[in-house]
Amino acid sequence: MAVAARIRTRKRPLGAMVAREWPNLLAKAVLFVVALVMLAPLLWMISTSLKPESEIFLNVPRWIPWPVTFHNYQELANRAGEAPVFRWLFNSVFVATSHTMLVLFVDSLAAYAFARLTFPGREPLFMLVVATMIIPGQVTLIPVFLIIQKLHWFNTYQALIVPGAAGGFGVFLLRQFLLGIPRDLEEAAQLDGCGRWTIYWRVILPLARPALATLAIFSFLGSWNDFMWPLIITNEIAMRTLPIGITIFQGRYTTEYGVMMAAATVATLPVILAFLLFQKQIIKGIALSGLKA
Amino acid sequence: MAAPAVALERKRKAPGMKPGRFRDVLECYLFLVPYLLLFSVFVIGPVTYGFYISLHDYHVLSTHRPFVGFANYAGALHDDLFLKSLINTAYFAVMVVPLGNLISLLLALGICKEGRLTTFFRSAFYLPVVISVAVVAVLWQWLYSTQWGLINYYLDAGAEALRQLPLLGAHIPAYTPIPWLSSPRFAMASIALLSMWWGAGGNMIVYLAGLQAIPETYYEAATLDGANSWQRFWSVTWPQLRPTLLFCLVLSVIGAFQVFGQVMVLTRGGPDFSTYTMVLYLYLTGFSLYKMGYACAVAYLLFLVVLVFTLLQFRLLSFKEVD
Amino acid sequence: MPSRLLRLSVLLVLLAAALLPGCGSSSGPKSADAPLRFWNGFTGPDGKTMERMVRNFERETGIRVDMQIIPWATYYDKVVLTLAFSDAPDVFICHANQMPMFAKYGKLHSLNALMSGPQGLPDSDFMELPWKAVHYGGQQLGLPLDAHPLGLYYNRTMFEKAGIVDGHGQAKPPTTWDEFLADARKLTLRDTGGKVTQWGFTFTNLRSNWYTFLRQFGGNVLSADQKRCELTSPQSLAASERMHDLIDKYRVSPKPEGFDAWEGFRKGQVAMIMEGIYMLSGLEEQKGLRYGGAPVPLFGTQRAAWGGSHVLVMPVNEPPERVDKVWRFMKYLSDHSLEWARGGQTPIRKSLIASPVFRTMPIQRAFATQVPYLSYEPLTVVGNEIAPFFDAAVQSMLIDVRTVPQAMKRANRQIQTVLNRS
Repeated sequence: MAVAARIRTRKRPLGAMVAREWPNLLAKAVLFVVALVMLAPLLWMISTSLKPESEIFLNVPRWIPWPVTFHNYQELANRAGEAPVFRWLFNSVFVATSHTMLVLFVDSLAAYAFARLTFPGREPLFMLVVATMIIPGQVTLIPVFLIIQKLHWFNTYQALIVPGAAGGFGVFLLRQFLLGIPRDLEEAAQLDGCGRWTIYWRVILPLARPALATLAIFSFLGSWNDFMWPLIITNEIAMRTLPIGITIFQGRYTTEYGVMMAAATVATLPVILAFLLFQKQIIKGIALSGLKA
Repeated sequence: MAAPAVALERKRKAPGMKPGRFRDVLECYLFLVPYLLLFSVFVIGPVTYGFYISLHDYHVLSTHRPFVGFANYAGALHDDLFLKSLINTAYFAVMVVPLGNLISLLLALGICKEGRLTTFFRSAFYLPVVISVAVVAVLWQWLYSTQWGLINYYLDAGAEALRQLPLLGAHIPAYTPIPWLSSPRFAMASIALLSMWWGAGGNMIVYLAGLQAIPETYYEAATLDGANSWQRFWSVTWPQLRPTLLFCLVLSVIGAFQVFGQVMVLTRGGPDFSTYTMVLYLYLTGFSLYKMGYACAVAYLLFLVVLVFTLLQFRLLSFKEVD
Repeated sequence: MPSRLLRLSVLLVLLAAALLPGCGSSSGPKSADAPLRFWNGFTGPDGKTMERMVRNFERETGIRVDMQIIPWATYYDKVVLTLAFSDAPDVFICHANQMPMFAKYGKLHSLNALMSGPQGLPDSDFMELPWKAVHYGGQQLGLPLDAHPLGLYYNRTMFEKAGIVDGHGQAKPPTTWDEFLADARKLTLRDTGGKVTQWGFTFTNLRSNWYTFLRQFGGNVLSADQKRCELTSPQSLAASERMHDLIDKYRVSPKPEGFDAWEGFRKGQVAMIMEGIYMLSGLEEQKGLRYGGAPVPLFGTQRAAWGGSHVLVMPVNEPPERVDKVWRFMKYLSDHSLEWARGGQTPIRKSLIASPVFRTMPIQRAFATQVPYLSYEPLTVVGNEIAPFFDAAVQSMLIDVRTVPQAMKRANRQIQTVLNRS
């Protein structure tokens, strides 16, 4: 059929092509409109953040900010006392990075043990980890909060970083991946007299890189975007992360949309950049975890 | 009975294993220690501790915390607001899960054939997923603004354009701006709409992976049998996609029942409790009314609800697979 | 083998060491010289005023103060949880209607000894209602800093254009229901298509507006013994109906549904609103807006105006060696509450109200005349639990989701359930 189509298009170039391709073109056009609709809110956010107040409240919205002003961003910087956006940015970066590193370290060790080592209690332990994955995070919210209080971790970085690393997802994901790696290399290393630690470090970790990358991205995004936990576990303005911080611009009645959109842009641009950079891994990663689970 | 034999069998294969040595097992466990430490302190401990608390009257300021049995559970089940929040959450799920998954599936079908613009489309559809719920909420608050919001503006402009039509136009009433977030009629639907915008790309990627995993030969065979594209979809794509569908639906339902950030930032459950969701209820009883025992009971009830829905879906969807 | 074990163990220890110490938290132990930790929720311009006063205090006394602003939306959650678990601030702001819960659980430090001590303050200098609102079981649990009653803000330009003026040609705000209604009618303007271009009156904060109507009609949320909910009383229904009439019967006010009322007043689309004194600074910033402030008109049968007080309180387990410092701080803020008033509050010290400086603040003075009949929200332990119910009732009846009796009956039942439970 494909061949026939090609022959036909060669005979009657344009007209026939349009006639045959129109569903395809129509689909493309629809997709294009949908893509614009999906992107519009984000573009509007950036556009609003670059406008002076007089341009924000217009009866006819203007998409292109002209003249472009960074007034709202300046305003953000000026309010460091009540709304230290750059401190929040630092907190978010620091917390998400540390959280990701902790997850990678802890989960890869555990996944290696579950996938490659044999010891009594392995199966029941792993079953327990998997079973707890179905428990929604809200169930442990209050007890974890109380435990954090008992540890005197309230309003600290470790409270933001550590508890989230206890989930079973990473261990599960990495173990699945490790099970799929052939054992030849390990056995060769073993023959060379390498111990488990060396094998884990020199053989397994390099091989598991794709899965580690996926997990790193998920952990980072998860921590960066988390809302409920930082809301509960921090109280000082300086300890907030960006998502919690930006809600401070919602006034009692008046919301300063320009400043708020500037803050929202600051909170969003890093993840958008990260997404565009690691797009392939992210999408592969989701497919990987989605289909395996 | 067979388990020890299997374990032994594996033991022989495992690297560096010298059977029977205590130190060996210890070394294996050393790999697990960091995770198990976190796991017991922040998962296993809390799950049991939470249940224990849920059986007590635990006001944070009170030092007297009596055991009350299942009174907190009974209290929640008799509480108007809890039931209202359950209904609201179900309503949210009913809006978001089928429609959201349909959109995701359509988007995935739209871009499953590789083309020049595929990457652009995929990125555009997926981009909202990586944004924090707080940003999504404040952004949509701006879009939903009754007087200055973009959405009301374009609806107004659209209605005005329709009014210019001959004959028909005269019957179309002037557009009155919709109070998206401040009317109990619209508020939950508005929350659902922004949630779909936020989440559509996530499921789309999973559907996309599912679609791309279907072997091309199936389609070729169907084509040889003379199936048109519609028939190909129902005879090949649909049955092949069922596991993916189940996966996405289950995760969507679980996600929908945990909706929190959007309502916390935008409406705090209002107006007239129309966006009061279960997790918001849990949060407010625990952290604004300081009744931790009660809130833990609510958390367990939430878990139960999610579990029931999940099992139900598995039951329904895997049944179909058998026929 | 041992070396491998060793390496792994070392790594674990390092990991633990990296995570365990309390990095990032500024809540150290309270030593005698550590700065005073002061919490409040003043996120707006009032926060800047408070900041200035705190810096002045530091300069004058040499006592350092570490001020922490937490948005009101989650402020009490944070305060309560900190009081319950970790070390609380040395001094914090508490609204008068939030005090019953702290009092019930004995979390606040009595100020009786400090008040009557050598550095004390005369009881008689305080206005009666704010003063009474900080006393529980014979103990004074806080030092009231201000009162913030609801008042009427009006647009002078619109009043003058509509000819609502006094003998000097100055805009004349209404004082009675009849005047209010007549003015609101005159001030509601419609274009030829019947579309409203200017509203006579708009509800901004529903709770404070409704509570004022309710109390003016002699109604109340709870009975005097706080055992019964009284939202279905004839007074309560009459008050709510009158509020509702402004929208549906007299059509001088829009439904509180998506209309940005406060912005509407600022931008000159609304002639009158009832708001707290603390919103004043938001108007001062608005260019081209000529506004005035007056006491709330008499809508019902008796004078009343919703209001609150910011109260300075100290936790019960404050270390004894720091108590005097905290008191100095509290007393300083109270003594300087005229400066605080300038940012949009009314002082409650009689000596300050009588001072010539206060005469330079006309709107504060107008609002302050209402302090003798200020209506606090119910002073009850379950205040936060019942408020959402009457909030929802008011909103639903104003936007016609329910009729007034339906809405009140429903809220009455819900609140009664809470009362029976506790």
